[in-house]
Amino acid sequence: MKKDKILDELLLSWENTYKKGQLTLWIFMALQEGKKYVDEIKSFIEEKSDGTITCEEQSLYRSLRKFEHIDVLAFEYQEGNKGPDRKYYYMTELGQELFDRFVNRNIKLFYSTEIINILKRKDK
Amino acid sequence: MKTVTSYLLWFALTIAVLTLIFRYFLSFGIESDSFAIVTTSATIYGFLMFVSGWYFGHKDEEYLPIYDIGFRFHLTTYAVHSAITLLWIGLGFCSKHEDTNISINILIYWGILLFIHFIFFLWSRKNSIKDLDKNDLFE
Repeated sequence: MKKDKILDELLLSWENTYKKGQLTLWIFMALQEGKKYVDEIKSFIEEKSDGTITCEEQSLYRSLRKFEHIDVLAFEYQEGNKGPDRKYYYMTELGQELFDRFVNRNIKLFYSTEIINILKRKDK
Repeated sequence: MKTVTSYLLWFALTIAVLTLIFRYFLSFGIESDSFAIVTTSATIYGFLMFVSGWYFGHKDEEYLPIYDIGFRFHLTTYAVHSAITLLWIGLGFCSKHEDTNISINILIYWGILLFIHFIFFLWSRKNSIKDLDKNDLFE
């Protein structure tokens, strides 16, 4: 029981550190799929991460504004179902290149057989 | 220009109103030879200027964390205060007992401090990408 409690606390602490910076990757992944407005990006992140990444609307808007400011994202207005037009975000050419390079350098290494085998070691 | 945010403009408007009120009471206090009016209006003015800078600065930072070590707000404060002061003097609204050289000297010394702030601002820019802190960009 005590071990479980310590494990939970350690996991939470590790996850808190790990998740810092993850929002950017998830936003880019959401937009890699296609243009989205804020609610769609939020739903994508929460669904695809199995709820491990949650984002408040405020932080999402703040990140989108920053990325728009540095020209890696842009938006266009499209008609919503009801009410005013929605801002649909998409990656700019610079953003797409940034994302591709980031994935190549930091994510694709997890595809290697060696790493996959290490991660699966427990199952052997 | 993206660095001229709506919060910066609201700040400029607020301090313009505060400065106008302050200038009025300053001249009125000098005209009435009232030390109390002069010191009270200056204290309240300083306090409200700080509060509005703090409030709009925080709002601005929440909206877009522009990494300028406070230079935009300082420059705005200086520009608004100087413009109103010079207009007040130029249009002859100040008290006849008022030594306008004091106001001019304040603007000169403050301008030197602003210039020093500008140097630090330029120096800090090497830590930014397109006006945003490169260490917090992808937090």
